[in-house]
Amino acid sequence: MTNILLLFLSMDKIFLRFVSFFYPVLEKTGVDTEQLHEILRIKLIMDDRRPKALFTARRNAKATTQSPWLMNFFTLLMGLLMGFLLFINDTPYIGQALYFTVFMVMMALTLISDFTTVLIDTRDQFILLPRPVNDRTIAMSRILHISIYVLRLALLQGLPALVIVGFVDGIFAIPILLIQLLEATFLTIFIVNIIYLLMMKSVSPQRFKDIISYFQIGFSVLIFAAYYLFPRLIGASFLDKVNLLSHWWAYLLPPVWIAALNELLIHSSRSTPLTGLLAIIGITLPVAGLWFMAKVLAPGFNRRLAIIATSDGNSSTPNQVKKEGKFSLTDKISNLVAADPVENAGFRITWKLAARTREFKMKVYPAFAYVPIYFLYFALNAKGNNMADKWDKLQSGHTYVFIIYLSTIIMSAILMNVSMSEKYKSAWVYYALPIGEPGKILSGMYKAIVTLYFFPYCLVLSIGIVLIWGPQAINDIILAFLVSLIYGILMALFMVKGLPFSKPVITKQGGGKMLTSMMILILIAGLGFGHYFLMKWELVIWIAILPALLINWIMFRHYKKQTWENIELSDDF
Amino acid sequence: MSETPLIQIRNLSKSYGSKLVLKNISLDILPGQVIGYIGPNGAGKSTTVKILTGLIPDFEGEVIIDGMSMADNPQEIKKLIGYVPENAEIYDVLTPMEYLDFIGKLYGMEEAMLQDRAKKLLAAFGLAANKDDRMDTFSKGMKQKVLLISGIIHNPKIIILDEPLSGLDANAVIMIKELILRLSKEGKTIFYCSHMMDVVEKVSDRILLINKGEIIADGTFESLKQNHSDTLERIFSKLTGREDSTTETDAIIHAFE
Repeated sequence: MTNILLLFLSMDKIFLRFVSFFYPVLEKTGVDTEQLHEILRIKLIMDDRRPKALFTARRNAKATTQSPWLMNFFTLLMGLLMGFLLFINDTPYIGQALYFTVFMVMMALTLISDFTTVLIDTRDQFILLPRPVNDRTIAMSRILHISIYVLRLALLQGLPALVIVGFVDGIFAIPILLIQLLEATFLTIFIVNIIYLLMMKSVSPQRFKDIISYFQIGFSVLIFAAYYLFPRLIGASFLDKVNLLSHWWAYLLPPVWIAALNELLIHSSRSTPLTGLLAIIGITLPVAGLWFMAKVLAPGFNRRLAIIATSDGNSSTPNQVKKEGKFSLTDKISNLVAADPVENAGFRITWKLAARTREFKMKVYPAFAYVPIYFLYFALNAKGNNMADKWDKLQSGHTYVFIIYLSTIIMSAILMNVSMSEKYKSAWVYYALPIGEPGKILSGMYKAIVTLYFFPYCLVLSIGIVLIWGPQAINDIILAFLVSLIYGILMALFMVKGLPFSKPVITKQGGGKMLTSMMILILIAGLGFGHYFLMKWELVIWIAILPALLINWIMFRHYKKQTWENIELSDDF
Repeated sequence: MSETPLIQIRNLSKSYGSKLVLKNISLDILPGQVIGYIGPNGAGKSTTVKILTGLIPDFEGEVIIDGMSMADNPQEIKKLIGYVPENAEIYDVLTPMEYLDFIGKLYGMEEAMLQDRAKKLLAAFGLAANKDDRMDTFSKGMKQKVLLISGIIHNPKIIILDEPLSGLDANAVIMIKELILRLSKEGKTIFYCSHMMDVVEKVSDRILLINKGEIIADGTFESLKQNHSDTLERIFSKLTGREDSTTETDAIIHAFE
């Protein structure tokens, strides 16, 4: 296994060597191969050193020191998890079609979220273009760079499946799967290309980059979901009984076409003429897609990319902020909730920076999806013979309070990130201005987090809960919400000792902080379980709401009185 | 100096959509000249520079450098030019040596000579100790120095500097100013864009002032002084129509009332 990993590490060199076989041909078309080689070599080095979006969202502390080795390992692991889907091979198509669906989605998202920065590297404009490098060389280097990247990804991601399919379907399935992987890869590239073109046609470059970051958020959620839910799904018996081909729409899904090749050649006993037709589509379509891309899409694609790159360089189009002057809804809310001018300033700055800072969104927004995923995970883990049984158990139980308690994940995700920013130096204003009670900024910040993120989120969850479990859940929801708020203030008091967006991102957590964090978590877990046991008595819950309110009020008053001594200043300005 | 001009610009126009950024500019620049190119924001300065460096290939008019036309022979022209862009774009995950090696090879330089020259230049700029560190940890001034080196590593005839002093400390600024004068004595032609009037005043043999896409002043600092005002700053504001700064300051003061 280690040998294989080493092989993948030196894969770039192998690819470069491989590409160099074509140099004589390329030279005839006007490409300067020496320059091409240099550009490719340097781009591959940079790829390895670039922190990947994939894991920075969750493991941001280590982002700068990530080794390509680790990245490859995670891709392999992901490929392995996906590969387990292939064990479902009793029913036609299901296992393979699922596998290729996941394979293609993963690949598309990796391409979009990780590779876009490479595609639209605005620096190329100023570093490569002034040098004596002709257009053909640059275009060729871009195409080859993308190909190398994609093939490396496809091989790495598909490697575990190649081994697994050997066990499942026999040795002959391996070369077939290799062909299928290539089909899936080319088809994915084609689809991604079309997504790009559509996005470039309809949105401005700035919006384009924003959309990409949403893709990245979606991606990290997907990874998270995959790690938690895949093993459960494979165990779930209902998948075995699905007859995919009884639904007409199944024939329209590209993964089904790809899976058809395996059906046709390995399980020929159960294949029909239709299988053969699908398999032929599976082979011809990616090829046709590639041809279409090279002939029709590629020229316009490069031109549009250049436009994006240049329009970014000389920022001639100002990033327009929604209609200024007119009072917006959030401004009205802020005046209502935080009337004090200093508190109001804290409220608004937190809200606006949070909504517009890409890194903050990247780290916090995935947490919004973690809650339902966790819940689904627990639900799937529940005892029960089939899905309906599990569902019945779930509905008759009282587990719903845990959904609200799980939402504290969001609270801590926001609080842990809200004081950090890459542009933390702009926070000098807090220290330069005569602010007597910095606690007011903090309380404004906390109010902003609760009113604009936590409360709406809980509201949506509550509606869902009431729909499923009925209105007797309302008192529990209120209590759970209040206890979560207590957790939030405790976190804010002990863990977040900085003003909004005022500290550099790389802060290693001290052991003491870890301990405090654990203590808070244990306390809240205790309260949560206490709540769970008291749930039988509806009235008790209603009464418990009162002390919870009181505690919130007292703690919040205390929080508001934080002085400069309680706030950690960032030392390097 | 009665040589043939090294850079000839004839009736150069450039428009973005319906907006005309450069209006029929014509210029001759002789070898060895240090041109100070100044103008307010949005006047067309960086567009001129981008055309001269081949970043913008489509324009109207003619740009001839060392007898070659930019439209026909951009690659040969690019070999003659060293460009230090304004916005400090650099592949900062590389080390200075890796970066310079890359850039030098794009110019087709030999490895041994390139390595040797890169080391010498890095040492001369005080970066010998950092030559194998990744640049993402560098300060703005250090990156700027690497950019400057990458602009001169292939010993170009023409050097185009766009705000080259940004982020540099006082000592480095003095060094660069001297360097510009020395390079021009070596026969290099230097095209220097900046907003820092005092530096332009000192280093340039000839000052070009561009406003709204047209060159509105062209001459030595001495000749501009005679016709207009005594410092370059005043000449600048007078010619770009911003003499009435008192009304602006008046408006600011009145805002407090």
